[in-house]
Amino acid sequence: MPDTTSLDHPAQRAFNPYTENGGTILAIAGADFSVIAGDTRQSEGYSIQTRYAPKVFQLTDRAVLAVNGFAADGNMFVKKVKQRLEWYRHAHSKDMPLRAIARLIQTMLYGRRFFPYYVYNILGGIEEDGTGAVYSFDPVGSYEREACRAAGAAQSLVQPFLDNQIYFKNQRPAHNTSHPVHLPLATVLSIVIDSFTGATERHIEVGDGLEIYVVLAKGRGLHGLEGVRGVQELTATDDGERVFVVRRELKKD
Amino acid sequence: MSVMEYNGGSVIAMVGKDCVAIASDLRLGNQALGITSNFQRVFPVTNRLYIGLPGLGTDVTTLRERFRYRVNMYTIKEERDIQPETFAHLVSSTLYEHRFGPYFIEPVIAGLSKAPSGGFKPFIAATDLIGCLNFAKDFVVAGTASAKLFGVAEGLWEPDLEPEDLFETISQTLLNAVDRDAFSGWGAVVHVITKDQVVTRTLKGRMD
Amino acid sequence: MASADGGAYSYSLTVFSPSGKLVQIEHALAAVSQGTTSLGIKASNGIVIATEKKSSSILIDDSMIEKVAVICPNIGIVYSGMGPDFRVLIARARKSAQAYWKVYGEYPPTKVLTQEIATVMQQATQSGGVRPFGVSLLVAGWDIHRGPSLYQVDPSGSFWAWKASAIGKNMINAKTFLEKRYNDDISLEDAIHTALLTLKEGFEGQMTEKTIEIGVITVPTIEELEAGKEGGESGRPRPTFRKLTEEEVKDYLAL
Repeated sequence: MPDTTSLDHPAQRAFNPYTENGGTILAIAGADFSVIAGDTRQSEGYSIQTRYAPKVFQLTDRAVLAVNGFAADGNMFVKKVKQRLEWYRHAHSKDMPLRAIARLIQTMLYGRRFFPYYVYNILGGIEEDGTGAVYSFDPVGSYEREACRAAGAAQSLVQPFLDNQIYFKNQRPAHNTSHPVHLPLATVLSIVIDSFTGATERHIEVGDGLEIYVVLAKGRGLHGLEGVRGVQELTATDDGERVFVVRRELKKD
Repeated sequence: MSVMEYNGGSVIAMVGKDCVAIASDLRLGNQALGITSNFQRVFPVTNRLYIGLPGLGTDVTTLRERFRYRVNMYTIKEERDIQPETFAHLVSSTLYEHRFGPYFIEPVIAGLSKAPSGGFKPFIAATDLIGCLNFAKDFVVAGTASAKLFGVAEGLWEPDLEPEDLFETISQTLLNAVDRDAFSGWGAVVHVITKDQVVTRTLKGRMD
Repeated sequence: MASADGGAYSYSLTVFSPSGKLVQIEHALAAVSQGTTSLGIKASNGIVIATEKKSSSILIDDSMIEKVAVICPNIGIVYSGMGPDFRVLIARARKSAQAYWKVYGEYPPTKVLTQEIATVMQQATQSGGVRPFGVSLLVAGWDIHRGPSLYQVDPSGSFWAWKASAIGKNMINAKTFLEKRYNDDISLEDAIHTALLTLKEGFEGQMTEKTIEIGVITVPTIEELEAGKEGGESGRPRPTFRKLTEEEVKDYLAL
């Protein structure tokens, strides 16, 4: 007799179009620079798919985008943002300003309100007024300009540390002094590195490699970046903002 | 609904140079609703040994009484104070007795143990809710803000902190971690244990 | 008064005689004093416990007989009296030590374990359907709290701490001998020789490594204690009690 059990109870099958690929990103804005960083591990569940999958991308000489969450969506999203920025260049013969990129990203994300890119974005760079800026987004386009932001697997580990070290939360300045509004680049870089070594130590999805992008405002010197091990310039144009990347190893266990 | 998050609360302990510290927030809530901002969950066991009991509020009280009973019996029978290592095992075995119907508490232990040479050695430990011991050399955390505590502690802690620096480190770690946790906060208490004294300070924190 | 056979009060051990005695306990002590002599001496850096083990026939394989028993790495026991009763107590003592380890992650201090054994022995004087244990014990142990300590436990369940003591057949003479020989700063090596000398006093027949059993507590140095457990934090504690091998006993007898 043929097996009819499968006919008795109709079974529902579902395709899950999303997955979570781990990793963490963070960005910190200075007075005239911006730092955007991410680890390079890509994982699925307990498996490491690759130890080098960049999550931070240079968009222009003044904008860097970090994407975290579902890697396939992230890569496609960056591709589409880059495409829109190229169209903008063709139409306007200049790079899109940072605040405009931020609004573009919000529009693109919200455009997929009912089938979202499963991605948390952090955009860092230099505004038209020459100040360092960080914009953070949720997957459907809510966004905000901030001085610092962490996202991804180790957000809960890194963000309170940043609150303390960048915003000086729960700290009171010494008598007749005040907390600095912006930190020097060297300090920011060491906070970024400490954040990632800490997250690597305690979170299984964070590690392998670290890429720190640094965007400097037009005319700003290198100070804070000179003497940094393994720094590499990525700037495409002359006499504008400059983009650098610092690559570091993280623990691979 | 997770039972471990029903009442909220977090505890952390850290090792310093010839000293240890243990700290906790003071919130007791009913899920999202705050109930009280002076709920003590860190208790002295001996003059140089403290235990923190983050987890389900009712089990904080029950376990505290259980440990009080068992430590009193030990002290009378053995005619001596219980040592931190021994107490950690007592905690572990007490929790494991309830392996299949556990107390919803993840204890944190901090104290100074007597060295054979006569000095005192910093000791911290933590267990999960069924008593699996973790003897860390730097810091241990537990409670609803544990992930945040791990992140901040990993960034702030360094070896051989003097008592005052250890106090600052553990306080900053706790305060900044609980500020990012909706279930923890509402003030904090910190105990710094040295061979001569225990300094207890109550900290003001964000009340939101 | 209790007559030689115990009279009317000898049947139920839980009934006092009019003079306030539990005669069964006294009979148990009589059983002990018929047993082979055992002794213990506390030295400045350790403890020795020793006993003679004589078999009634040369045909008995005396390598099977064990009269000095290890309870846990820091405690050993020797007895005088009834062998089978001793084995029951050994089993109970070992279980008690392991139960303590399960709760506290360390072995019991000598006093606590002695108390546990004494409780078992006391219960046998107050429960229905049982008789008291026909043994006295010498418990030797070391712990961080009290250092080396030597206890005697009797069938009644009473126990005392000794600097040196003897139990069994020749206990009176042995104790007198020990009183003369003992001083507070005797070394473990000297104590072992004193123990052998004391046993020799009332020994019938040849004293050899086959007819003597010795156990020793060695007080660990601070360095040894700081070194921690054998094989790291999760390893086993370094033993402070051990039985001397026949080879070692032979060497001591030769001196």
